[in-house]
Amino acid sequence: MTGGYLLRRLLAMLLVLAIVSVTVFAITIILPGNAAVMILGEYATPDQIAALGKELGLDRPWHVQYLAWIGSVLQGDWGTSMRLSLPVAQVIGEAFWRSAALAVAALLLVCVVAIPLGVLAAMRRGKLADLCVGGFAYLGTAVPEFVTATLLLVFLAAPERGWFPAGGYTSPGESLRGFLHHLVLPTLTLALILTAHISRQVRSEMSDVLASDYIRAARLKGLPEGTVVMRHGLRNAMAPAVAVISLDVGYLLGGIIVVEEVFAWPGLGRLMIYALQNRDLPVIQAVTLVLAAVYAISNLVSDLVIAALDPRVRYA
Amino acid sequence: MTARSAVAAPVAALQAARPVLEVSNYSLHYATPAGDVTALEGVSLTVAGGRTLGLVGESGSGKTSLAWAILRYLPANAREGAGRLLLSGEDLRAKSPGELLALRGRRIGMVFQDPGTSLNPTLMLGDQLTEVLVRHRGLTLKDAREKGEALLARTGISRPAEMLRRYPHEASGGEKQRVVIATAFACEPECIIFDEPTTALDVITARQIQDLFARLQEETRVAALYISHDLALVARIAHEVAVIHRGRIVEQGPAARVLAASREEYTKRLIAAVPQPRRRLVRGAPAPEALPLLAAERLTVCYGESGILDRLLGRARQQVTGAHDVDLVLRPGEILGIVGESGSGKSTIARALAGLVPFEGTVRLAERCFGSGAPFDRAYRRAVQIVFQNPDGSLNPRQRVRDILARPLILYGLARRSELDARIGALLESVLLPRDFAGRYPHQLSGGEKQRVAIARAFAAQPRVVLCDEVTSSLDVSVQAQVVRLLVDLQARTGCAVLFISHDINLVRQIAHRIAVMQGGECVDLFDVVEAHAPGRHPYTRRLLDAVTTLPAAAGEPGP
Amino acid sequence: MREVLHHPTGLVGAVLLSVIGLAVVLGPWVAPYDPQMFNSMARLQGPSAAHWLGTDQFGRDILSRLLDGARATILFGLGATLLGVFAGAAIGIVAGVSGRAVDSVIMRVVDGLLAVPDLLFTLLIVTMLGGGLGWAMVAVAVAFTPGMARIARSAVLSVRTREFVQAARARGESFAYVIMREVLPNAIGPLIVEATIRISFAIMLGATLSFLGLGAQPPSTDWGLMIAEARQFMFRNPWMVAAPGVAIALAAMGFNLFGDALRDLFDPRSRR
Repeated sequence: MTGGYLLRRLLAMLLVLAIVSVTVFAITIILPGNAAVMILGEYATPDQIAALGKELGLDRPWHVQYLAWIGSVLQGDWGTSMRLSLPVAQVIGEAFWRSAALAVAALLLVCVVAIPLGVLAAMRRGKLADLCVGGFAYLGTAVPEFVTATLLLVFLAAPERGWFPAGGYTSPGESLRGFLHHLVLPTLTLALILTAHISRQVRSEMSDVLASDYIRAARLKGLPEGTVVMRHGLRNAMAPAVAVISLDVGYLLGGIIVVEEVFAWPGLGRLMIYALQNRDLPVIQAVTLVLAAVYAISNLVSDLVIAALDPRVRYA
Repeated sequence: MTARSAVAAPVAALQAARPVLEVSNYSLHYATPAGDVTALEGVSLTVAGGRTLGLVGESGSGKTSLAWAILRYLPANAREGAGRLLLSGEDLRAKSPGELLALRGRRIGMVFQDPGTSLNPTLMLGDQLTEVLVRHRGLTLKDAREKGEALLARTGISRPAEMLRRYPHEASGGEKQRVVIATAFACEPECIIFDEPTTALDVITARQIQDLFARLQEETRVAALYISHDLALVARIAHEVAVIHRGRIVEQGPAARVLAASREEYTKRLIAAVPQPRRRLVRGAPAPEALPLLAAERLTVCYGESGILDRLLGRARQQVTGAHDVDLVLRPGEILGIVGESGSGKSTIARALAGLVPFEGTVRLAERCFGSGAPFDRAYRRAVQIVFQNPDGSLNPRQRVRDILARPLILYGLARRSELDARIGALLESVLLPRDFAGRYPHQLSGGEKQRVAIARAFAAQPRVVLCDEVTSSLDVSVQAQVVRLLVDLQARTGCAVLFISHDINLVRQIAHRIAVMQGGECVDLFDVVEAHAPGRHPYTRRLLDAVTTLPAAAGEPGP
Repeated sequence: MREVLHHPTGLVGAVLLSVIGLAVVLGPWVAPYDPQMFNSMARLQGPSAAHWLGTDQFGRDILSRLLDGARATILFGLGATLLGVFAGAAIGIVAGVSGRAVDSVIMRVVDGLLAVPDLLFTLLIVTMLGGGLGWAMVAVAVAFTPGMARIARSAVLSVRTREFVQAARARGESFAYVIMREVLPNAIGPLIVEATIRISFAIMLGATLSFLGLGAQPPSTDWGLMIAEARQFMFRNPWMVAAPGVAIALAAMGFNLFGDALRDLFDPRSRR
């Protein structure tokens, strides 16, 4: 893999992040209702608004404000949360790891389940296994996360049965068992929906591959079906599947917000909801940047994985 | 002249006993939502050891279905009728899936048409070759690699060890096909089926692969079923020929006999449709001193300029030169043929002359002059029309034939609204299509019919020059013959000049007055058609002429 | 249209959509009870003959509320998608027919916007605009715009290179003619497919926003809001959550299936 390719992808990613930062900034500053009004509420007097505005530097031209903001972000100063009176970086830091635990657990579960399911469905195209997987996948893509989350709560966390807690969080430091116990339902919610999406995509890519000429040629060389699928088929289906999975990371990031809210899991998602409800601008801006950066980095990683899998891409 | 005559007689005597591949009275149809579609009906043929049977048919004749049937790789909706398929006397239809798996690759192999799609793009070529050896011969990986290298050397690859480590996209079409052939021959099977192995290759490479095939077939005495649409090619390399039409074998027998003294109507039509340079379709020639109608001077076309952002991101694209310093002259009423391999720049010239790509240099039409960057005006665009290769792409799928043909009439003000229907009817008749086709949509027409509509559209503008960019290359041989005759007829009637671009040099020799040869974006040769074999020809021209396959002369005709 | 009905998934989709459509149009009239009517005698009941889907904490009939809320939920989805599709298609078409410089700039911005996950983007916008169903619809439309722009651009680009468009250019047709008569009619297909599938996303996003309190506000019977209000009582009467949940799923699935059937039909490979 050429260094040139890597460099180009990195530059593209930075450009994307720059645009995201401008967008986030634009949304929070330019849209109706300036920051001071939102913070102070509807009953603030014009004097109070002006004073707060001056204090926040809102009377400067917008590009100056943007540069000041992005400058401090890059230097590591992410401001102070308006509601919590804590440094934003600190607040985000703890929440980040908790969300990460959830995301990683969900992704692992999904990869282990969804990819084999998709391959199986493609191999048994048109038969019962395929229809079952297909049906499940359809259902999964039509149910929003909050519905799945709530239904799971109803069935698995009902007080009479009490198999799982109905939300909340215990840190691993306090009790590993408790941590895992609380982790199950939110992870399952995310995993269910992602499995539906991803198994469907894998099935579709794998079906295309299995219908291709080189698979036919491999079969006609007398290679057993298992070899054909594993050695010839999978390698070619994985590259486009990875591309699609990386799009789902975006979906995962959205889903985390909802799931954390329903299960009261104190991660970035819950933090975001709280910040939105309270108009805590520095937190809103910072969390959005973090999530967008995670998405962008995951896209970069997936591009590299694709290049590793598909020799044609490496020298593009 | 068949290449076989010297060796054939004594060998045939030795091998006369056992047919290796035997198909007897075999029938097949497909169950589709639109009803049953017959693919094969009562097909019988045999291929003896050491012999090549050429199976010739046009698209839809069922020749490929027969290959799948023999290999037992039919789709789910295939329904077989009566009939037997025997490999060295064993009934293939009675084999279990496990037995078939052991059979494929080991006792019966296949070489496909397009090496670009029949090789796995993510595996090294060496791995794809050695896996058959490992699977069927039980060789270790190391032994398989050595054997693979030897096999590649035998197929004419210059650096076999290096080729083993390459990926398909790093090898040329010819090299890939050699690897596929080596893989098919690797386990020394009894029978190999070749499905149009050279159709996707350039003329010169195709000739090399055909010669390779002939050599290997003689060395290994494998029974070969060679499927093709190209009668001339099959005549050269096969011992026996079977002609298949709509699922039936219409004629079968020794190659020389079928060609020289065919008994069947269809075969005769097929033979007549094959382009033969000695059968000129065009009479007369334009006056040699006539002033040029269309002239290109130092025409150069470059593709792939990098945008600013691309350069910033370090992605400066290579400048690809489509055509370089080309000089061409077209006289009134002349047919100028342009031949060359793919990538030679011949289509680029057409697109530049049609005003579709920017060019450098000068283009003159009669007295008017257009330089680089100066856009062609409507008068020019009306006078110079273009017809494209792909019949499926040249017509707007959402417009009826009537609207497609009306467009140039309206645009150039050639007819009033009230006259449109009459003119459209006349246009359709001029391309031998029924008038009621005006109400049809393109998807209701066959490939040949679509091309005729495209030609009608071009001539509707009453042009002075028609650029034909590989207009018959996607069509079957018999349809091609009709369309070419039509074109020649229209040209004679309207007196316009035609720039006829094709990779088929035989076809071009049939209809062109002069021929230009393109190689690597440059025009390397330009000559009168009668001087095709004259001594002054460029070496590349000579190589092209030698590589192309021509039907042998029939009794009483002068030689090629 | 007939072809869609022959297609198995299309048929199921069409059936689901018809049911949903009827609920939207006729809902309030067909509902057995007044959706807002309290009935303290029949609180938190499961399904029964009198109340087919049971009642909520105020004794309101769930089925009636469901039928009433069909409007809010489905029309939201349609409206948001329509806005987003038009805006996105306009931008994408402009990018697709313009020269490389303009195209590059537009697509870089679009790529940048796509880097923010849908829900997050929507949340940001709806918060800044103030809550409520109307603004939520705008927010979802804005979130959809970059994705649709990308699809529109790629559809236009792929048609532009086809030979009948080249033939029109070679004839000397005006730019406007080429775009309007040759390119657009053939590029519409993928857009329609994508739009149909996006309706299901819009419905789900809208329900999510309402659930989070940023979309529909009480006393609306929007299905997402119904589930949010049911959270405290979900263990006592799970039907309060299950009924709207299943309704959302069926609506989204209907559009999904229909859109997939359309996609199969538009795909030239599956023709004949």
